[in-house]
Amino acid sequence: MSSGRRLPPWLMAAPAVLMASFVVLGGLLTAAAQSLGLLPLAGSPSLTLEAYTTVAPDLPSAVGLSLAIASASTIAASAVGFMAALIIVQGRWCGRVVAAVSTLTIPFPHIVGAASVGLLLSDSGVLSRLTGAGEAWPQLVGGPWWFAVIADYSWKESAFIALVVTGALITRSTGYDETAALLGAGRLRRLRHVLLPLSLPALTVSATIVFVYTFGSYEVAWLLGRPSPEPLPVMALRVFSSASLTSRPEAAALAVVTAIVSFGAAFAAFALLRRIPLWR
Amino acid sequence: MTFTLRTKTILSGTAAIAAAALALAGCAAPPAAQAGFTGWDQVTAAAQGQTVRLWMYGGDKQGNSYVDNTLKPAAAKEGVTLERVPVADTKDAMNRVLTEVQAGTRDGAVDLVWVNGDNFGTGKQAGAWSCGWTSMLPNMTLTAASDPLLANDFGAPVEGCEAPWSKAQFTFAYNSATVTDPPKTLAGLLDWSRTHPGRFTYPAPPDFTGSVFTRQVLYSVSGGYANVPLGFERKAFDRLTPALFDTLTGLAPSLWREGKTYPKTSGELDALYAGGQVDFTMTYGPATLTKLVADGTYPAATKVLTLEEGTVGNASFLAIPSTSGHQAGAMVVANLALSPEQQAAKADPRVWGQFPVLDPAALSAAQRAMFEALPPSPVVPAYDVLSKNANPELAAAWVPELDDAWRRQILTGR
Amino acid sequence: MAVTLPPGPRTPWTPPRGDGSALRISRTPGRVGRTLLALALAVWFLLPLAPLGLWLFADRWSYPAALPEAWGLDGVRSALAQGAGPAFARSLGLGLAVSAVATPLGALAARALAYHRVPFPAAVNAVLFAPLALPAFAAAFGLNVLLLRLQVPPLAGVILILSVYALPYTTYTMRVAYGSHDLGFEEEARTLGATRWQVLARVHLPLLAPALARSAFLAFLIGWSDYLITLLVGGGAFITVPMLVASAASGTGNDSVVAVLSVTAVLPPLILLLGLGFFARKPPGGLS
Repeated sequence: MSSGRRLPPWLMAAPAVLMASFVVLGGLLTAAAQSLGLLPLAGSPSLTLEAYTTVAPDLPSAVGLSLAIASASTIAASAVGFMAALIIVQGRWCGRVVAAVSTLTIPFPHIVGAASVGLLLSDSGVLSRLTGAGEAWPQLVGGPWWFAVIADYSWKESAFIALVVTGALITRSTGYDETAALLGAGRLRRLRHVLLPLSLPALTVSATIVFVYTFGSYEVAWLLGRPSPEPLPVMALRVFSSASLTSRPEAAALAVVTAIVSFGAAFAAFALLRRIPLWR
Repeated sequence: MTFTLRTKTILSGTAAIAAAALALAGCAAPPAAQAGFTGWDQVTAAAQGQTVRLWMYGGDKQGNSYVDNTLKPAAAKEGVTLERVPVADTKDAMNRVLTEVQAGTRDGAVDLVWVNGDNFGTGKQAGAWSCGWTSMLPNMTLTAASDPLLANDFGAPVEGCEAPWSKAQFTFAYNSATVTDPPKTLAGLLDWSRTHPGRFTYPAPPDFTGSVFTRQVLYSVSGGYANVPLGFERKAFDRLTPALFDTLTGLAPSLWREGKTYPKTSGELDALYAGGQVDFTMTYGPATLTKLVADGTYPAATKVLTLEEGTVGNASFLAIPSTSGHQAGAMVVANLALSPEQQAAKADPRVWGQFPVLDPAALSAAQRAMFEALPPSPVVPAYDVLSKNANPELAAAWVPELDDAWRRQILTGR
Repeated sequence: MAVTLPPGPRTPWTPPRGDGSALRISRTPGRVGRTLLALALAVWFLLPLAPLGLWLFADRWSYPAALPEAWGLDGVRSALAQGAGPAFARSLGLGLAVSAVATPLGALAARALAYHRVPFPAAVNAVLFAPLALPAFAAAFGLNVLLLRLQVPPLAGVILILSVYALPYTTYTMRVAYGSHDLGFEEEARTLGATRWQVLARVHLPLLAPALARSAFLAFLIGWSDYLITLLVGGGAFITVPMLVASAASGTGNDSVVAVLSVTAVLPPLILLLGLGFFARKPPGGLS
């Protein structure tokens, strides 16, 4: 229903596009300029790849760890979030309870959630005290498997995924689901043929958001992780705040690398998304 | 096609913004403003009505309360509005200051920073501080000019770029209910941890406290601080640090979690100590111990471990960034913070318990009486006991070198 | 055409077998499973918050006591003394400002993308999605040099950056909503002679109200819970609740203060949620 009187589409999108371009390009280019030695704190600018060669040896383990944490968290959060969304859209008291408690977790800032998960899971945390495990308590916080970090992301982000998927399902699913049920489709078939296709675009988008967010975020891995090996953002911020003047270009180089990997993941998800029929 | 044309406009506009951004960010930073006052009267006159933002570590409730309830009202009486900006780490404040220097700001967001050590040194290298102003402060005459802790900050000459605020002593604390045979030297402490596996650890450098601990061990394995040149020398580093890292590597298996990991921050070590996971903790701010024992965070049997060879001591300062637009107001606050009334209030363990920087010999009898009237802390010994045989701090240049080597050899080497 | 029916099932539906209704068969064992699953999910979402609830009024909780030994209001008093009140007001203002900027811009962009031929849709999508992939610290330390040079007031800079970080959420929430939104209602209203504004106010906005509320809420959360950008770009002039939480959490023995601040940090969004009628199971005018 296009008509001559309405806003031209490019103008509708322009404010958002311009603002995002300024922040993304401005931020990335300034970070890149710093990483290439063009914005030194002291001395004169000179183009150099030194910052990149300095951080190169630590990169593989940092990138690998960040990818592993982000993947594990995304998978767990998607599974739980999808289940929660299914329960919520089915309504009744179960749905309302799950909707209420999952919504409750969303407003918690990540740093607060991480602090609370730390108080719950640490060696002297609430669970350890309640179970009286003492020395037998497993190394969840700061342990070798990054359990507390992944648990925190899965917990926080499953609520986010539930919110987004519920939003996509709630307008349509009941009708389709009831029709399918009346037509005699069993629980699993309705899940596979009605609910899953309906929620797939929302699920893909929200899972991608979760993946790139957990890949590039700092607070949780810093608060609940261990000092070595380091995820990429934690390493970048440690280098960024280290006292020596040469460290800023190195931190900027790490930021650029983090951004490149994140953008790669985002593009992959977009490619996937465009193949999903409901998403034009 | 209008579509295409318009899109091109958008795209080229975006490119222009990006190019302008780069050009703006890349142009040379203008020189920082200079204070340029000739007398204290000028300063107090200029300070009237100014708002001073004091950036300081905000994780210490007592410190926050002292500034809000004691220093702030006193500053208001002098015509200066003091605002406390709490940060999770002084480095956040440093980042802000350095960014402002990079951008050539003249009216920055930071007017005063609680700072010392490598943060001060980095700022000095980058020209981030106003210098030469502390001699104008009337209360500077109450400090001892010869006091080495106040003349050099981690080896960097202070040169009037920061005004002294508090003294501190690196302090070990232990749970006397579980440690019945407290060691008396640092070597003894390391032996204790070897015979009590899993009950001791230290924060991973570059955490400030973990970093001090490695320097303290360096002094110990080198046979005392006198054998370590305070200024950084590569040769001395190569000669002295193998013993340090051998010792720490050998120690690792008997540490908490077999030394396979370390607390990342002194806060994490404190939490381990509070949770009974380890029997020792350590801090550069022993003032907090009193409150932590009183409110039950730490075990009631917590005691301070004094070492025969002494521990590292330092002073912390208030520095004014060169980008501050309220230099006069900041100087008035720094002077106020040095007054005997404020120093005594701050030294009260019930208020904050920070050790004063004033020279008792320079004080009047009435002023000295204020300090003598302070109640003792049930946990922390007096400053003269704690600072007995105090060790000097190494130059700031040692700090990143030791921290990096520790990460390479101890943390990731296993 | 706004949306197609979901892709048809690859295998044809089989008619119900026997005489029992499939609806009833699947529901009887399903109820138990659904209840168990709902309970498990409730525990999953609530358990990590339990420590905060316990610490909220714990004046003393030494290890290894399983529960607080002394209850009281020390944490509340301490949080107030640290400036929780003004920080709360600032956080609220920041969240609302980000929401006010990002929601309409995101909805406009989403509508353009959903219904119209936007030039270079892939590039536009990429730009709007890009803030998600840009680590906040990189944006902060690249942009604050830039914003300082451009003499943008710090607070305006914070709102600008956070709004951009909120744009992907608002755009895509609205994009999904437009994706399953039926334009037929609007067309029908226009056929019946409604003006453009009437269609917008009476049909479009009510139909999309739940999605708009969700995206406004997500944008609010971006402003409400941000720490790094408020700190680095805001220049410390603007102390919000997360800044207080971070500085309190970095110290020792502050657990009850952190708990109080955290709960402070959650109440307004929750009230917003209730106010926006988030818990309504079906959107007004939705299909049923």
